[in-house]
Amino acid sequence: MTSFMAVVQRELRAYFVSPLAWVILTFFLFGQGLVFVTIVGYLNDPRQVAGATPFDYFFNSFFFWLTLLFITPVITMRLIAEERRSGTLESLMTAPITEFQVVFGKYLAACTFYAFLWLPTALYPLMLSRHSTIDWGPIAAGYLGVFCVGCMFLAIGLFGSSFTKNQIVAAVSTFFILIALFLVPWLGSLLSNQVLVDALGYINLIDHVEEFGKGIVDSRRLVYYLSTSAFFLFLTTRALAAKKWR
Amino acid sequence: MIEARGLTRRYGDFTAVRDVSFSVADGEILGILGPNGAGKTTTIRMITGFLPPSEGRVTINGRDLFEDPVEARRMLGYLPENVALYSEMRVDEYLAFRAQLAAMKKAEQRPAIDRAVSACLLGGVRHQIISTLSKGYRQRVGLAAAILHGPRVLVLDEPTVGLDPNQIIAIRELIRDLGRERTLILSTHILPEVEQLCDRVLIIDRGRLIAEGTPKELEERSRGRSHLTVTFRGGSGDALLEGLAALPGVAQVAALEDAGRYRLDVEPDRDAREAVFRLAVDSGLVLLELAEKKVSLEDVFVRLTQDPAAGASFAPAAVSAEPVTAEVEA
Repeated sequence: MTSFMAVVQRELRAYFVSPLAWVILTFFLFGQGLVFVTIVGYLNDPRQVAGATPFDYFFNSFFFWLTLLFITPVITMRLIAEERRSGTLESLMTAPITEFQVVFGKYLAACTFYAFLWLPTALYPLMLSRHSTIDWGPIAAGYLGVFCVGCMFLAIGLFGSSFTKNQIVAAVSTFFILIALFLVPWLGSLLSNQVLVDALGYINLIDHVEEFGKGIVDSRRLVYYLSTSAFFLFLTTRALAAKKWR
Repeated sequence: MIEARGLTRRYGDFTAVRDVSFSVADGEILGILGPNGAGKTTTIRMITGFLPPSEGRVTINGRDLFEDPVEARRMLGYLPENVALYSEMRVDEYLAFRAQLAAMKKAEQRPAIDRAVSACLLGGVRHQIISTLSKGYRQRVGLAAAILHGPRVLVLDEPTVGLDPNQIIAIRELIRDLGRERTLILSTHILPEVEQLCDRVLIIDRGRLIAEGTPKELEERSRGRSHLTVTFRGGSGDALLEGLAALPGVAQVAALEDAGRYRLDVEPDRDAREAVFRLAVDSGLVLLELAEKKVSLEDVFVRLTQDPAAGASFAPAAVSAEPVTAEVEA
């Protein structure tokens, strides 16, 4: 446990001393700020139906997906690739610690950093609640969905970082896996085979997040994120254990 | 303390290390010697558990390094060849991280860090950021991290590479101190280092273990234990060559390029100098030079690693040419 916490703390520290973290945070908050402005505009528009839930827009806009698909690979790209390149992996993996402790420690640090990115956005509904009535249920569900989808992306990113020394390769390969995961079910809805459409519909992230934004928490979605994350963490552990790289 | 049995490591078709077996006794300082690219680092990586061997096994104090890795690694301190540290951390932060990583108890961490810092003479730079340190200091930080959790076995891969002469002397002294209470494995291609520090030496070449013994044993096992260089004024010709070869204790004579200069290989434990002097007096020649040179580990090393056949003529005891395995008693 101590060794595991050592990994988590070191990774978190490494995030906050690197300029990259602050660049990501700035980019992210800029994007979310634009979305917020849109929502405020929507609420101020007298032509809109009363009682609409503009916050599902917050969780399912173009900006939302753009930032999520770009930012998660950037958060995870250095986690293992950098240690491979600099050689610190050698002293880390010869310390009395298991591969899984290393992988899960790094993963937990990435998830914490990701949650930290979203933290300032909680101010938006808080600010709005002073001037308007807010339905907190869908917002809480929206945040849950955002966190779960993000953590799944981070697990994929950690895997992308585990088989190369090059951070760019790690980020780009992660990005391609994420795009595939994101686009294939969406394109799948154009198919004529109903069984395929249904199967792909089950993993359509756009639908998922839309549901979360409406306050629907479907346990099948959570199982999907959890099992996918576990699968990629397992692959990462195997990649570290193989250690064929010099 | 450490048992390595039949270690083999292949990278695709290339075999980096082939069937290397050895054991290291408690408290011993073992040197692993070999030219660059001989398989030293691969061997070291297998006995520290970083690289799984394709075949063979390693146990540390009875614990298998790949079946019980966490407990086995707990007894091990390792300084890799390329001392990589997290450069954004301060020295004491890094050491605290390593102490925590080794799952040391909170109360033990502080004193252990203080001990390692003073052992490795890091007092002056403890609060400095690692990226600002010189190579010599980084080496010492790496060493401090390796000894922090009080491992019984310390493995150092080329610890003096890339240091200036003063730093080399300082690191060697440090290694000597550290080796007093620990089992130590040291890989190097620098011969004086082995002669100064090690109780026993393995020589690895092209992935095979080609010789094993104390530095002194290896020197003595060489064909001529010492050789003489002699120069006579006005002396040359076959008669002199034969006269020299007939002297008691002389194994072999070779005429050198300069006229009148010869090199005599002397049989083990013999001294031919007096006989050479008498020969000069008896044949009325003037002796200009008579110099004895002990065969050094360097001669052994060069002979073994440059001439594959030399291994065969080399060794009665622990060394055999085909197949090359050196079985060593613990």
